[in-house]
Amino acid sequence: MSMVEVQTVRKVYTRDTQEITVLDGISLQVPEGEFVALMGPSGSGKTTLLNLIAGIDRPTSGSVLVAGTDVTRLSESDLARWRSRNVGFIFQFYNLIPVLSAVENVELPLLLTSLSGKERRERALTALKVVGLADRSGHYPRQLSGGQEQRVAIARAIVTDPKVLVADEPTGDLDAKSAHEILDLMGTLNKDFKKTIVMVTHDPRAAERAHSQHHLEKGVLANGSGVTAAAH
Amino acid sequence: MKFLPFILKHLRYKWGRTLTTVLAMALCIFLFCTLQGILAAIDDLMASTSAKRLITRHAVSLVFNVPLSYQSRIASVPGVKRVAITSWFGGSLPAKKEGKAQTEDEDEDQDELQSTTDWSQFFTNMAVEPEPFFAMSPEYPVAPDQFRDFMQDMQGCVIGRKLAERFNWKIGDHFFLESFIPPYRKPSGPFEFVVRAISDVDRAKYPSADASIMLFHHKYLYQATGERVAAGTYTIEIEDPDRAGEVSAAVDALFANSPAKTHTETERAFVAGFMAMAGNLALLLNGIGLAVSFTILVVTANTMSMAVRERRTEIAVLKTLGFTSAGVMALVVAEALMLALLGGALGVGGSKGIMWMLTHLPGLREALAGMGLTTLDLKPTIALLGAAVALGLGIAAGFAPAFGAYRARITDMLRTV
Repeated sequence: MSMVEVQTVRKVYTRDTQEITVLDGISLQVPEGEFVALMGPSGSGKTTLLNLIAGIDRPTSGSVLVAGTDVTRLSESDLARWRSRNVGFIFQFYNLIPVLSAVENVELPLLLTSLSGKERRERALTALKVVGLADRSGHYPRQLSGGQEQRVAIARAIVTDPKVLVADEPTGDLDAKSAHEILDLMGTLNKDFKKTIVMVTHDPRAAERAHSQHHLEKGVLANGSGVTAAAH
Repeated sequence: MKFLPFILKHLRYKWGRTLTTVLAMALCIFLFCTLQGILAAIDDLMASTSAKRLITRHAVSLVFNVPLSYQSRIASVPGVKRVAITSWFGGSLPAKKEGKAQTEDEDEDQDELQSTTDWSQFFTNMAVEPEPFFAMSPEYPVAPDQFRDFMQDMQGCVIGRKLAERFNWKIGDHFFLESFIPPYRKPSGPFEFVVRAISDVDRAKYPSADASIMLFHHKYLYQATGERVAAGTYTIEIEDPDRAGEVSAAVDALFANSPAKTHTETERAFVAGFMAMAGNLALLLNGIGLAVSFTILVVTANTMSMAVRERRTEIAVLKTLGFTSAGVMALVVAEALMLALLGGALGVGGSKGIMWMLTHLPGLREALAGMGLTTLDLKPTIALLGAAVALGLGIAAGFAPAFGAYRARITDMLRTV
């Protein structure tokens, strides 16, 4: 069963009077429990494809089905609610909220649920434990290293137990050691917690951790995409 | 409520900016409440005037007295029920000695002290013609036995209950007053008075009636000054309030060709004219309030715009996490409202404080009472109005940046990081 099904998707941006085709009829299937890497040069459209899968952008044409829901047909508010339940997003620059502590950052998506304050806090601490930062729950982002910030961001992404994790260059701002740890953590989430992961990366070593790699070139999937990684 | 800590944390993060914005809002609401409080007190004063009373004064200015001979002629005008001399005495207690108001026990150094006055102990005092005055002034009720004693003692006076409590004066106590108006001073020193009656002013029925007033015989003033003073004003009670204009014109017509022409008007118009000596207060005070409110609106809107601009990434993250556009907009407006609420509370509290000071600090209290502003206070309706203005400003200031956050697309905001 496909967790993500991208069907003949086109994405065209209009700048002034000029039309720029970023994605040109892309189709892609990601089975449930897969760890997929999207690779390609800058401007190839991989982040745009990731945004479409995450439901934070809409295609010009085509459809995107995630966990059986055609996200292109949802209204803005329904799409927001859908995101909160189904997708965890990991950013390159972590994007933690500086005024909130680690546990409060992780708790943030749970504010949209009907959980009590105590339940929210328990879940957030559990998520921090999963990423190995239970002892830093009271620390603010400025008090954490880049790798630790990214781990908090991953905890925030998984705290609602989403079906799909999307990661936009999650190791792009990290040193080699921290990047290795983050990739290990993502591997664990995929293997042990059965999360379907779609990751955009420039880093071949990061891509090697995925089960399959898809290469984008000027808005289309290049030949040879779908190579199963040896690590699987 | 679960979002409240989130909002408060943001406000605390840039505490300097939060503090200055809150203070600006507080100043706005403080000015609004205080100015509206003053206007309300003036309105109360106007409302408490009697429609049945006219005031006749010198046509040129209140500074000039009106001849005593006019009284009988005014009384003869059809529609006039009674006429009473009412002269603002402007007396104050001679300078304090050892921190106490001067009384008859402390007058040994009177000659030395008579040229000085203690303005901090000032209160309204009027020389009146008792019988007609009290007959037409139900706001100052006096017990019959006390009134009889007052009428029998030329140095006797009637004081309001608040004045009695303030100086702990009882029936039979003596005190001295000296006017700052030269014709009302006598060579032998301050005027001596004896408390003969205490009036329990009905503040419920007459909210602006002065419970700190002191009223005494005009005859005493007249005789003590060598029969040289005339009447400051005449207070006229008329039979029919609907004929006020006609009676006023008839009174003024009597003296149209005399050296001391008169100007007669309703008590309300007289009070309004008295207030108007300070200019068009309502326009001035409302103008100040509006200008300040607009400035604060711009300041707060700018603060909120800066806050939203700085937090574009955060807004993008919130939306990515599943916060709806309306939810994000509500958070921004709530933050502006929180600023407004804090500022509003501070402003209302400050206004309440200044009102208390104005009505309790010696000197200021009496100066206001002298102007008739005895009901100066922050009324609950004005405090609520102040809070509503603060909330209105908060919503207005927060709306534009909040709408920007509502409309912003996640991908655009993430791209501009």
